[in-house]
Amino acid sequence: MATDQFEPRIVGFLCRWCSYTGADLAGTSRIQYPPNMTPIRVMCSGRVDPTFVVQAFAEGADGVMIAGCHPGDCHYDVGNYRAMRRVPMLKNLLEQFGISPERLMLTWVSASEGRKFAADVVTFTETLRRLGPLNFAGETKATDELNLKETAPAV
Amino acid sequence: MAMFDKTFPTLDCAACILTPKMVQVGQHPNIKLMTLSEVEALSGYVGNFKVQVRQHARYITADCTGCGECVEVCPCEHPSEFEQGMNQRRAVYRAFPQAVPNWYSIEKRGVPMCEDTCPIHTRTQGYVNLIAHGDYANALKVIRDVNPFPATLGRVCHHPCESECQRGFHDEPVAICALKRFVADWEDEQGLAPEPFKTKPNGKKVAVIGSGPAGLTAAYDLARKGYGVTIFEKYDKPGGLMRTGIPAFRLPRDVLDREINWILDHGVELKLNSPLGDVGVTLDDLESKGYDATILALGTTKGKALGIEGEELPGVVNCLEYLRNANLRDEVETGKRVSVVGGGNAAIDSARTALRYGAEEVTIIYRRTRDEMPAIGAEIIAAEHEGVKMHFLVNPVEMMDGVDGQLTKVRCQKMRLGEPDESGRRRPVPIEGEFIEVETDQCILAISQLPDLDFLVKDEDFDLTKWATLKADPHTCETGHAGVFACGDAVTGPSTVVEAMASGRQAATAVDIFLTDGDMDYMRREYHRPTDLPKMDNVRQPGLPTVKREEIPLNPDAGITLKEVELAFTEEQAVAEAKRCLVCAGCSDCRVCVDACDKGAIDHLMQDEVSEIDVGAIIVATGFELFDSREMPRYGYGRYDNVLSSLEFERMCHASGPTEGKIITKDGRAPEAVAILHCVGSRDENHLEHCSRVCCMYSLKFAHLVLDHTGAEVYNFYIDMRAFGKGYEEFYKRLLNEGVHFIRGKAAEVTNVAELPEEEGKLIVIGEDTLLGMNRRVPVDMVILSGGLKPRADADELARRLHLSCMQGDFFLEKHPKLAPVDTATDGIFLAGACQGAKDIPDSVAQGAAAAAGALVLVDRGKVVLEPITSSIDDEVCSGCKLCLQNCPYDAIEFDTEKKISKIVEELCKGCGTCVAGCPSGAATQQGFEDDQIFAEITGNLS
Repeated sequence: MATDQFEPRIVGFLCRWCSYTGADLAGTSRIQYPPNMTPIRVMCSGRVDPTFVVQAFAEGADGVMIAGCHPGDCHYDVGNYRAMRRVPMLKNLLEQFGISPERLMLTWVSASEGRKFAADVVTFTETLRRLGPLNFAGETKATDELNLKETAPAV
Repeated sequence: MAMFDKTFPTLDCAACILTPKMVQVGQHPNIKLMTLSEVEALSGYVGNFKVQVRQHARYITADCTGCGECVEVCPCEHPSEFEQGMNQRRAVYRAFPQAVPNWYSIEKRGVPMCEDTCPIHTRTQGYVNLIAHGDYANALKVIRDVNPFPATLGRVCHHPCESECQRGFHDEPVAICALKRFVADWEDEQGLAPEPFKTKPNGKKVAVIGSGPAGLTAAYDLARKGYGVTIFEKYDKPGGLMRTGIPAFRLPRDVLDREINWILDHGVELKLNSPLGDVGVTLDDLESKGYDATILALGTTKGKALGIEGEELPGVVNCLEYLRNANLRDEVETGKRVSVVGGGNAAIDSARTALRYGAEEVTIIYRRTRDEMPAIGAEIIAAEHEGVKMHFLVNPVEMMDGVDGQLTKVRCQKMRLGEPDESGRRRPVPIEGEFIEVETDQCILAISQLPDLDFLVKDEDFDLTKWATLKADPHTCETGHAGVFACGDAVTGPSTVVEAMASGRQAATAVDIFLTDGDMDYMRREYHRPTDLPKMDNVRQPGLPTVKREEIPLNPDAGITLKEVELAFTEEQAVAEAKRCLVCAGCSDCRVCVDACDKGAIDHLMQDEVSEIDVGAIIVATGFELFDSREMPRYGYGRYDNVLSSLEFERMCHASGPTEGKIITKDGRAPEAVAILHCVGSRDENHLEHCSRVCCMYSLKFAHLVLDHTGAEVYNFYIDMRAFGKGYEEFYKRLLNEGVHFIRGKAAEVTNVAELPEEEGKLIVIGEDTLLGMNRRVPVDMVILSGGLKPRADADELARRLHLSCMQGDFFLEKHPKLAPVDTATDGIFLAGACQGAKDIPDSVAQGAAAAAGALVLVDRGKVVLEPITSSIDDEVCSGCKLCLQNCPYDAIEFDTEKKISKIVEELCKGCGTCVAGCPSGAATQQGFEDDQIFAEITGNLS
């Protein structure tokens, strides 16, 4: 029976080569996982501008997931290393906004790891359920006033 | 496929299908086959790939005609990979008779430790294996290439090679030293006189002072290079310490004479009774007589003193003098109760010599324990055997005299072992106040030796080191006197015969360089540089049976006389001992094949070649590996002789295979019952989860072949029968009608523990028959394990190099499981065959054709379409910070130094967008993935 348990909203940034294909594989393999994550395809996890993450939180996301190729397997050689370096800095920033760093997940999913992809979504959904709703958009000023697109520094 | 015998379901011959295809490929003008090659790196993109390929050295040039003469003479045997280890192949081999291209190659794995440890780098594995093959003459040739003293070193060498022999880590090291003696003695017994090497005189003259092992080796090397060499020897017989120090019962004089004479046969002149110095020959004399260079190989002739009270007493004598008198004059003053101080070979030799010249009791006084004695182990044992007493952990502190001024006692301090010193041996420490007295009337001091150089250091060109040895460049052997080189014990301090030889060789090399191009810096750089080849220092062969090392026979008539104590191996012993060699390095570098090859096609110095080739498309068809059934020990593979892997059974069925097509057990019987176990490793959560697709059908093929060849009862243990292909179900029906027993249930175990009389001497397959609902024990003579197909062990590595996707230990991933089964995520790279997933031959061929078609489409079109997802930079907004330049993995961003802004080179940009994410001013955008587009997606996702 469906209960009124909290259903977090997750924005996922999946790299086109490994993680998006991995998510596809999870689908074609009929692996069950929570529908809470809605994916956005980017060419590389290195394309994920920190502004995207902050914007997602500002627009009401409870969690953001960034998934890329395993270290060493990046289609663009080193893009995932850039992501790997940006995320810890971004987590620092989020903490200053009062957002738990746990709400941002960076994971590596290869194209053949449909099962791992599903497992990661399950874990992340559980984590966010534990943390509860973020409601960042409601508690702060309206998104357009915050005007993140213009001011958030690139990391 | 070339390894298979028959293919299913048509039962036609694999070779008949494959061979014409292989020949066609081999002869096609547009196909360049690069075998023994490896892709090291890939760069570029579809239509414009650059592949870096390493062509491993095959050590055989294209002149090879494939006659196979080299194989006949190669002594090194290894399990054949093609025959699944059921047959041996040589180190020079071709994979199989129909191989394309039909070339031979030599397998070199590295430098064997025996050769690496040997001070003169004798190609040990080479001669050991030649002995194993009975080719004694060539074995000697290999030895003599670097060592003019096989018979001498075969008797007295301290054989460091044996300490590193990899066989020693399994049971006991190969008796390398004794094998060398065997071939040397064999030659003598056969009455064969070795031919001297051919030399071409170069008109230059070199003087060598001293005829010990260092001087003789230097003379030998130089004479072989064409120099006119004269040796000046102080005594009336040549040989240095080999003659004056080593007693005849270890090294008979005729053996030594024979080997020295052989060196002289190379045109070396020997001048006896010619010491260096004012009474004999001086360096000025040599220069005036036209010698271009001089090598000093003076050796050590002075005994070191203990520096204790009473050392000057009559009766105290140095071992060098003692042994010299015994060995050169056969007469030496010897006491009744002799004591010897020291623990090295000189001490043992002195003790054993004293017994032979009238001593009634001989005692060795050594300050450490037996374990620390530097003498050769076998010599210590022999000395004990002959009755030499040993006092350990005592150090002489005073020589005591009696009434008539004669030596009567040695007073010794008791010692214990302390911390290890720099030589790694534990340092003896005195125990205060505890002494013993050893009664003796003659004390031989054998603690260490020094060179006698007083006459030489008067000349200011020569200097002594702080160890009182002659100073010479450690790399080039040069002394302060131009054109004079020094080597041997006079430079290094007391060493062994083989170490002195190594030093002599170094001096000879230095002289050769000095007298040719004179580039001594080159020698300084290169002479002691270790080789680039890997050292074979971790060769372990699990399951290798233990074979005892042959014992060196002793001369029953020798007694305690001057007759030689040890004898050579018998021929049977030598061959058996040589066969214990693990052949660590693959090829032994014996180079017998070089002589056997008429075409001169063998080049042992060949190097790997790395080349870069331009290609437009790549097809990956690297195949699969068979599941290693050792991972499932319950099936007994590797433990029971008659448990075979599927590929082993394929080879067994093949007419050219190890049994010439006979299906027989290890002991040669035709089996009465055979079990075939399906799904070994496949469909198993602990091993390979996937179904390997081909095992059911090849198991049916095996069942048919067993029935057809032997008429034995066949039992197939299967989970369920997967006969999905064209003609497969029909083949299954045919087998059902042929009378094969099908037992539905995965076999649990194979054992040889019989519970019933009819199980005696059989292998028993235990498993549940799920159709009958009962457990079964089936006694059989042979078990075939139908192992699954798994990705090649290095698939991960190749995936990384080619930027393909595959999870660790998984097959390569195709672009789309349905719509793009031969494409990969990288345009222009295609997959074919079992590297993409387990499949049968028809599917592999179909996929190969599809991949070829994919590549042909690219070729035919002649141009490729790139994705438009590139980045661009807005000139107006760019601040010129250059961060994007560091972010771009492809160097696709240029900096315009005039405008001071960054620009994207569209042709190079691959569209990852990393620069966009990192641009602080928001000047960079990515087509199709602009910030605004993604923001809109975020909004859409969250609305």
